Amino acid sequence: MSFRHILAITRKEFNHIIRDRSTMILVVFTPLAMLLLMAYALTVELQHIPIAVLDYDRSATSRDFVQQIISGNDLDLYQQVGSIAEIEDLLMHGDVKAALVIDPNFSRDLLAMRGMPMQVIIDGTEPESGGFAVEHIAARAEKFANEALSNQIQMMGFSEESLQPLDLRIRTWYNPGLKPRNDLIPGLISMVLGFPALSVALALAHEREHGTMEQLMATPVGRAELLVGKMIPYIVAGMVNVVILPLLAMAWFNVPFNGSFPLYFGLSALFMFAIISMGIIIGVFMKTQAAAMGVSFLMIFFPGFFLTGLFFPIVSMPEIMRLESLGMPGTHYAIITRGIFLPGIGLEILWPYAVMLVLLGFSFTGIAALFFRKKLG
Amino acid sequence: MQDAIIQTQGLTRNFKKTCAVDALDLSIGKGELFGLVGPDGAGKTTTLRLLAGLLDLNGGEATVAGFNLRKEHESIKKEIGYMAQQFSLYAELTVLENLRFFAEIYDVPSEEIAERTENLLQFARLTEFKERRAAHLSGGMQKKLALACTLIHEPKILLLDEPTTGVDPISRREFWDILTNLHLNGTTIIVSTPYMDEADRCSRVGLIYEGKLVICDSPRKIKNELSGEMVEFLTDDWQKAKKIVGKLPGVLEAQTYGEALHLLVDNGEKRLAEITRALTKEGIKFRGARIAPVRMEEAFISLIQRLEE
Repeated sequence: MSFRHILAITRKEFNHIIRDRSTMILVVFTPLAMLLLMAYALTVELQHIPIAVLDYDRSATSRDFVQQIISGNDLDLYQQVGSIAEIEDLLMHGDVKAALVIDPNFSRDLLAMRGMPMQVIIDGTEPESGGFAVEHIAARAEKFANEALSNQIQMMGFSEESLQPLDLRIRTWYNPGLKPRNDLIPGLISMVLGFPALSVALALAHEREHGTMEQLMATPVGRAELLVGKMIPYIVAGMVNVVILPLLAMAWFNVPFNGSFPLYFGLSALFMFAIISMGIIIGVFMKTQAAAMGVSFLMIFFPGFFLTGLFFPIVSMPEIMRLESLGMPGTHYAIITRGIFLPGIGLEILWPYAVMLVLLGFSFTGIAALFFRKKLG
Repeated sequence: MQDAIIQTQGLTRNFKKTCAVDALDLSIGKGELFGLVGPDGAGKTTTLRLLAGLLDLNGGEATVAGFNLRKEHESIKKEIGYMAQQFSLYAELTVLENLRFFAEIYDVPSEEIAERTENLLQFARLTEFKERRAAHLSGGMQKKLALACTLIHEPKILLLDEPTTGVDPISRREFWDILTNLHLNGTTIIVSTPYMDEADRCSRVGLIYEGKLVICDSPRKIKNELSGEMVEFLTDDWQKAKKIVGKLPGVLEAQTYGEALHLLVDNGEKRLAEITRALTKEGIKFRGARIAPVRMEEAFISLIQRLEE
């Protein structure tokens, strides 16, 4: 391996990134834009779900209950209706996502401590909103019942607590409030950093398409020299994003960064090495930029979405997919970024993932160098 | 040939079902300016790519600069300069950056890079454009830059694949002046070309047809292959004229060049008189009838026509 050859290729490739506008945009700006876009798209908080209410009871208690339900930002009362048929009409038109039907015996049964007869109808084509409405109504109903009955219970000589044998209090550690962004954004970083890998695959295919690869193949440059020289600039460009992305996450989305930044930086470098190696493999096998683009999406972004545990827990995958996800640098890196951002854990826990990234990087580069031949056709 | 720098025996390369280079035996001596001609698709590019070590051989053996083409292609690459037909430099790099890049890839000692690039820029008359990006050069300048890049390591052998295709006539002449200079300095050059005037400037010409070397000799001898002389004249009605003169005795071949008709005849003096008489008799207007020297172009077309029959 000639260091001078590697340096020559690296310098040339840096110039290409800096001077070719589309490459520059793809390597440096696309990850930022994608992080913003995906963070917004994937973490929409449900609010102001429109519901209809059909109150057969028409008592003071039932009116109070409805008031309770629609106070706050979660559910909005779209309309009080008089029949089930009206509810169906509203659901069909998509004006409401759920409907609350209060039984004629609602207040009588409640005060007699026989329960709270009611029904919630939801739009099954939009289970997200409907499920949210059910949860919200159930939670409010419990609170309402406790308040409404507290006087009665005390009059009967019981203390309020004695009626609740189970006192379950849930505490979420590391991400109090379970804000989805705090959890998702560190994971998303591992995905958007796939773009420099896509660029390196495109850059290799670009050289083939433009005949510069033919020229390079006619020189004494070594295969590994060429590949390594080509990888370095994209790793460096990726590292620019490695620094910018968490700053963006902290400043824009208020995501906490509890761990060590140098550790994050170092492990990110290992990830860039591994993911760029994947890009190099694609570039070695694909002869055109269009093919390289397609395969990059199949090999880098698609599995990055589904196999890395970003949205679907790896433990719940079938075994073959779990094995496959082990071969994805993003799987290990998503664990690293989440671990460093939220609980702020260190190398004593993260080292196996770091080792995996190094192994993957060297295997991918090795495979690429093995199959890359300085031959045409 | 005793001091052959390139020697191939039965060199063969197939692409799927077609045989691009078919058992080619070629011997090129040190210091030759060798022209590779042939119709499109005859196998010129494949031959040059094989010699540059860019394609695997399907058969045969070859040595280039003393190295075995099958086993030592990486050693060969240090000794040759290869220029592809397509523009293949880095468009975003400047002229100087391209030269430096190839200097480093070819392991030119750092202390010599400045001097060599300066000389090559002068040589190719690109000095005033050295800071310009390759993308913004004219076609002719791009070709000269590509040549300069292949010369940076002072290769023993130059393999040039149609280096002047798509270049204006002045740049073409300039390019060939450079090649002639290199030839005089002892560099072995193998150049493929579709232009017969360029083939005429080579010390030896090989005609490739359907992957085979059909003829390989000096331009003078190839022209002599055509037994006979050339009669040419200009006419507006060449279709009719061709029909008439083609049937005359002693006319071996008729080729059209725009409004000119070139006739290959067994005896120039005798046939010229007969041809003018025949044309006048038929009432065909013509002008500038004369005996002309046989050029590579006629020789080439004649050879190809014979092969196709």
